[in-house]
Amino acid sequence: MRDVAIVSFAQAGSLVDTAESETQMLLPVINAAIEGSGITRADIGFTCSGSADYLAGTPFAFVANLEAVGAWPPISESHVDMDGAWALYEAWVRLQHGDVDVALAFSSGISSRSDLGEVLCLQNDPYYLMPLWADHVSLAALQARALLDQGLATEADLAEVVARSRRNAAANPSAHPDVRAAGDLSVDQLLEAAYTVAPLRAADCPPTTDGAAAVILVAGDRAREVCDNPAWIRGIDHRSEAHYPGLRDLAHAGSARLAAEHAGVADAPIEVAELAATFSHEELLLTEALGLGADTEVNPSGGALASNPMMVSGLIRIGEAFRQINEHGKHRTLGHAASGPCLQQNLVCVLEGDS
Amino acid sequence: MTDTDPQVADDGPVRFMPQLISLDYTVRTNPVAAAFGEALADGRITGHRCPSCSLVFVPPKGFCPICTIETTSADEVVIEDRGMVTAWTVLTPIQYHGQQERKDYALASILLVGADGTVGQQRLIDIPLDEIRPGLMVEAVWAAPEDRVADDRGYGLGTAIDGWKATGEPDAPASEYEGHTL
Ligand SMILES: [Zn+2]
Repeated sequence: MRDVAIVSFAQAGSLVDTAESETQMLLPVINAAIEGSGITRADIGFTCSGSADYLAGTPFAFVANLEAVGAWPPISESHVDMDGAWALYEAWVRLQHGDVDVALAFSSGISSRSDLGEVLCLQNDPYYLMPLWADHVSLAALQARALLDQGLATEADLAEVVARSRRNAAANPSAHPDVRAAGDLSVDQLLEAAYTVAPLRAADCPPTTDGAAAVILVAGDRAREVCDNPAWIRGIDHRSEAHYPGLRDLAHAGSARLAAEHAGVADAPIEVAELAATFSHEELLLTEALGLGADTEVNPSGGALASNPMMVSGLIRIGEAFRQINEHGKHRTLGHAASGPCLQQNLVCVLEGDS
Repeated sequence: MTDTDPQVADDGPVRFMPQLISLDYTVRTNPVAAAFGEALADGRITGHRCPSCSLVFVPPKGFCPICTIETTSADEVVIEDRGMVTAWTVLTPIQYHGQQERKDYALASILLVGADGTVGQQRLIDIPLDEIRPGLMVEAVWAAPEDRVADDRGYGLGTAIDGWKATGEPDAPASEYEGHTL
């Protein structure tokens, strides 16, 4: 495998009810990622984006988004209707071909203009589940219930995850302003709140967030030339469950476990893991499935519970894992992304610094 | 919302189940598109001239996609409601649910005088379908002022213009539009 490193990351932060178009939202983010990379725009050999037009209800927004890239003269590019973490994955695969050395991966999402409880129903199978309008929060609650019923977690355990996420979010300027404004909440305080969909409470669910993010990938020694402390992608893997959530044991994240095995998570200690756990119980599931021990710090950014721009949250997790190496001097970190109901799809990316 | 028709067709090996769904969206118009819409309501078509490369984009985007720099109201220019056809498609409407069209019609890309890019999907009015050609000069047929609603996403001209009719001028030479044909 060809060595590929992340050398730059930028994000819009947690935008609330943005009035901007996705392209307008992306332009300064992509510019910042390129400016921070030490690479010129003309040096980018491949571009890949992730977004879903259903969120803002703007047909072909994913094509208009290319206008934020500077796609003239014509560029080589691709798009995934997935979180930007999968755009990064495709860019990494493209760099393995060996003929180009630099790639841009970015993603954007405006979920404030629709009801995710409606829109995300469209990702369910169209024959049995879609006509029931089984919304993502209700499906997540089924998974949380499975954990509680099998004795793998308690409601207090879920509240612990929320309390820590919110404490960490206080130091993250990119966290959602409502989460930051709420301040520290104790486990007891959190457990006093009413259920949204039992056993989940509002704080167990992510805030509606708009946003965008971008990363620059560079292959080989050139990464060290342009970046003082690049984060090398040492393992990256994507696994999926069966589409129908009734076909699996929801109390375990089997595809996350497989992705972790194939990405080599257990080969050496992971200092920091950024997990795309959009509901509190998902962090418990993922920590177990990825084999993370007590010595791994989980979601120091506050995670997806503190800021969850759909289609961007996973790429931000990898970006935060990059920052832990690039800015905070960590050696080995992990970024995780998920897609689909009840952690149907999982992507694990293991990063290492030179020091 | 789901509206399932109980009349399930069962007249062959393939069964069809109609299932109409609707999704509700909140409309938020970005400031650049809003300013463009206000000008349209006044009967003016505006664009942004990039301060770096001087290209004029209509509708304005709030940035130059070539230079990847932001543009603002300070870069606004008014352009003509007259231009040339660069490309077109004749559509034969298939009668799906919600289809309002019944007869063949043409949508064209039009390069407006003063703009450096075309506006797409513009309805041609009173022009025989077999007489449409590149370089054909057309002018706007404006909707009544109360009917001029801009596209909230900044795409196209919304409902401000009913369509475009031939001006009767000589066709524009190919050199004026050849960079804009598809
Ligand atoms: Zn320009």
